[in-house]
Amino acid sequence: MTCPTTSARASFEQAQPSLPQASERKVATADPHARPLTRRALAKQRTRRLLLDAAKRLFNERGYEAATMRDIAAAAGMSTGAVFASFADKADLFGAVIMDDFEALAAHLGAADHADAPTEASLLRLFSAVFAFQRDHLPLVRAAIGHSWLGHPEADARMRTGAARILALIDDVLRTGVASGELSPDLDISLVKEMIWESFLASYRHAIFEACDAEALVARLAAQVRILLAGWMAVAA
Amino acid sequence: MTRARVLTAARDLFDEVGYEETTIRMVAERAGVAVGSVFTTFSGKAELLSQVMADRVEALQAELEHLAPHLRGPTVDRLRSIMAVHYGFETRRLRLFVAYVACSFTWPADGAVTPIGRNHRFHGMLVDVLRGGIERGDVRKDVDVELFIDTLLAAYVWNYRRAAQDGADAGALIAAMDRQIGLLFDGVAYAA
Repeated sequence: MTCPTTSARASFEQAQPSLPQASERKVATADPHARPLTRRALAKQRTRRLLLDAAKRLFNERGYEAATMRDIAAAAGMSTGAVFASFADKADLFGAVIMDDFEALAAHLGAADHADAPTEASLLRLFSAVFAFQRDHLPLVRAAIGHSWLGHPEADARMRTGAARILALIDDVLRTGVASGELSPDLDISLVKEMIWESFLASYRHAIFEACDAEALVARLAAQVRILLAGWMAVAA
Repeated sequence: MTRARVLTAARDLFDEVGYEETTIRMVAERAGVAVGSVFTTFSGKAELLSQVMADRVEALQAELEHLAPHLRGPTVDRLRSIMAVHYGFETRRLRLFVAYVACSFTWPADGAVTPIGRNHRFHGMLVDVLRGGIERGDVRKDVDVELFIDTLLAAYVWNYRRAAQDGADAGALIAAMDRQIGLLFDGVAYAA
């Protein structure tokens, strides 16, 4: 696979879908009946936030093994003991970082808005939005996916949660395509959805992120979606 | 044959004890060699795993090459047969294979290790079968052969997750792959 030059990146950034602003979302989801947090609870929340941010940065920069609890505590400006007051161990902290990232991604993706867009364009928009969100912490995302393959039930459960959101959006796009008549009503949506997901996930392997920018990856996924949806195989032998 | 003994020990430990849990010291002990002599050939666990998997694919491809002249029928079924052989082979050491997939998400592209899907022998054989289909006339000429195989392999790899997390057996993986290859061949786009 050839990688385009960095000039492609600018157009990729311009091509970002417009997404709801964080403040709009907060207003929409705020619970008016929620009781205000106590000062103590607020402090606890702030500590947790500081730790999650520091841990995310160090896990991303150094990798899971090399990032020590001591370094993470120092980066967050607190004692090692304070970390263990919030998280049982490194695995627990890593899991919390990953869940936090998945939730932020889900918020970033917002509601699917592809009413009249063709299937392929909608899928590309979705993948562009995911890659754009993850661009500054791809090593962390790749580590999370890797962990989820190693048979840790918690890591697998986290992955399923993160995947469910993207799978639901793919599902949505395909159903819209069927409803608009672009795709055949006989389309096996669950099978195609899984295969699109699998190709998407495979793009996190091979370390291709180091060599290619997001636009090249999205273009490649587009070609794979075309293969999956187009039905190029015609004549039976 | 220190090298072979080390690789066999590594393969067995990765599969029985787990990749994360295995240390180079354990590999050396199982192989009956000094820790230092493992490091004269391999830089670490990642390289051991990469080489173990490359050797497995090599052995399997050699078998499949004997089979190749006897493959009959439409291209879609030839690919299904080849992938079924792979599932039968790799599910015998499922934990080993899954560790390889896990590592493939984080390995650097420095050439020291070969992530899954980047083994030219494996990839090349599938590409050859598809090109053969174009020659035989049951595969369209304008197909992007490399990308088609990559798409097939993405599904092939993910299916192991069903085995690792949900306990699916080789038969279930083969059935899933059959459907996926069917989709890749039939196509589902609405023909206006």
